[in-house]
Amino acid sequence: MESKVVDENEEGPVVPMRVDRFGFVKQEHGPTEGLARSRSAFEYQRDERRIRKWRKMIGVGGSDWKQYVRRKPHVVKRRIRKGIPDCLRGLVWQLISGSRDLLLLNPGVYEQLIIYETSASELDIIRDISRTFPSHVFFQQRHGPGQRSLYNVLKAYSVFDRDVGYVQGMGFVAGLLLLYMSEEDAFWLLVALLKGAVHTPMEGMYLVGLPLVQQYLFQFDHLVKEHMPKLGEHFAQEMINPSMYASQWFITVFSYSFPFHLALRIWDVFLFEGVKVVFKVGLALLKYCHDDLVKLPFEKLIHALRNFPEDAMNPDILLPMAFSIKASPLSLSLSLPSPLLPCD
Amino acid sequence: MGAYRADEDYDYLFKVVLIGDSGVGKSNLLSRFTKNEFSQESKSTIGVEFATRTIHVDDKIIKAQIWDTAGQERYRAITSAYYRGAVGALLVYDITRHVTFENVARWLKELRDHIDQNIVVMLVGNKVDLRHLRAVPTGESSGFAERENTFFMETSALEALNVENAFTEVLTQIYRVVSRKALDIGDDPTSVPRGQTINIGKDDVSAVKKGGCCSG
Repeated sequence: MESKVVDENEEGPVVPMRVDRFGFVKQEHGPTEGLARSRSAFEYQRDERRIRKWRKMIGVGGSDWKQYVRRKPHVVKRRIRKGIPDCLRGLVWQLISGSRDLLLLNPGVYEQLIIYETSASELDIIRDISRTFPSHVFFQQRHGPGQRSLYNVLKAYSVFDRDVGYVQGMGFVAGLLLLYMSEEDAFWLLVALLKGAVHTPMEGMYLVGLPLVQQYLFQFDHLVKEHMPKLGEHFAQEMINPSMYASQWFITVFSYSFPFHLALRIWDVFLFEGVKVVFKVGLALLKYCHDDLVKLPFEKLIHALRNFPEDAMNPDILLPMAFSIKASPLSLSLSLPSPLLPCD
Repeated sequence: MGAYRADEDYDYLFKVVLIGDSGVGKSNLLSRFTKNEFSQESKSTIGVEFATRTIHVDDKIIKAQIWDTAGQERYRAITSAYYRGAVGALLVYDITRHVTFENVARWLKELRDHIDQNIVVMLVGNKVDLRHLRAVPTGESSGFAERENTFFMETSALEALNVENAFTEVLTQIYRVVSRKALDIGDDPTSVPRGQTINIGKDDVSAVKKGGCCSG
């Protein structure tokens, strides 16, 4: 599963760079990634079987997808929760997010946005380009294809929706998408998410005042108290609130600082089932570490909430735990009291 | 959970915020000061980050709890909540981008709108390692600092130049204000339980003073 990026026949200074199976440069003494070990023959065969099943479900280029989802929504849901095969991820994401339809309905629009329009956010975007997935080979090269695509998608969106424009954090979302699809596809998926093609529109997370982030953090706080009263109490005592650790969970849907293989599995479900899974994964992380967290004082708590242990971030443990959490509709429908007091 | 130094022992705990435009180097200043690290490949900060360091002033141990905030304007909806209770601020601009200096006045207003007038503010011109790209003359900034009654220093997080000084100066000044004030009102500083905020008059800085045994 490992590969070397550097062409060994090439002349010049050869700096061997080792990357993981997703293209992130490995740190020499970094933690061993859960998926880095070579896969067994059994796993390989299982994956092959799954890919065949998925191909049948999708049809050529996605032609059978809609019908399949209508006929067997539970099968689709179950399979997505197990993880979309990596080789089909880009296509399936476009199908389940509704972005494929947007693309087909709007031919030429992306090109127009890229070539003819200018955006007030251009400098802000440029400044963040090299600070988005800086350890990924695709985005590492200055002005390379990865950075250019990322710039184009973000600029196009900032023109398309001038109220949102560009907000830090969107780059991680766009960057994650670009690892699985073309610029134009990634752009329309961004549109589908922010404008709410299938689920609640995400744009409120990026609009002035970040109203949806504030609402989600408020709701998350309630859910913690509801599901883990002891931890909720401890957080209150230590004056920990979700804005200290969970803002980026929502704003980037776990793509900012979580192991990539976990982020992808969360995204599979997020695109199909909506933002609820972000709450559930967040709660599952706290639940998994509950017994440690309740003992920690303020500073260590903050540290722990930003550095979850490796075993907590195993998707095959964390996700089933997340799915078993029943987030009450009451807490999820709570809205912020006004005026907004996010830090209390 | 990572390695922790035994740094639960301190006399004063000061909350400090790092503010300023996006991309001026706030996060690297913080990591230089708290971990002596600098990263060429750092990600943009989303929301807030947090780190601590303990220093000695006179015979006292002072612990700084430093909040590093996302610089983009839109994030102030979240980050301004972290100004509350801060007794010091490093207001950072990039000496190679004049616009980041022009925005300093707005940051200062924002800060002063949210907290006590007498918060200790250090204006920090970062990235002096990029000498050939300088766009903000030192005199311009020092003049501003004088008018606005803030401290001023130029730093390079990359070259570890003045970073230590900038943070230490802020913490020392806070300490001076707090200890002088405690003396003035005849307060016995050791009698205040840990975690309690001392509000020393409306126009003064507040600080948390630790007393008794640590709970670490």
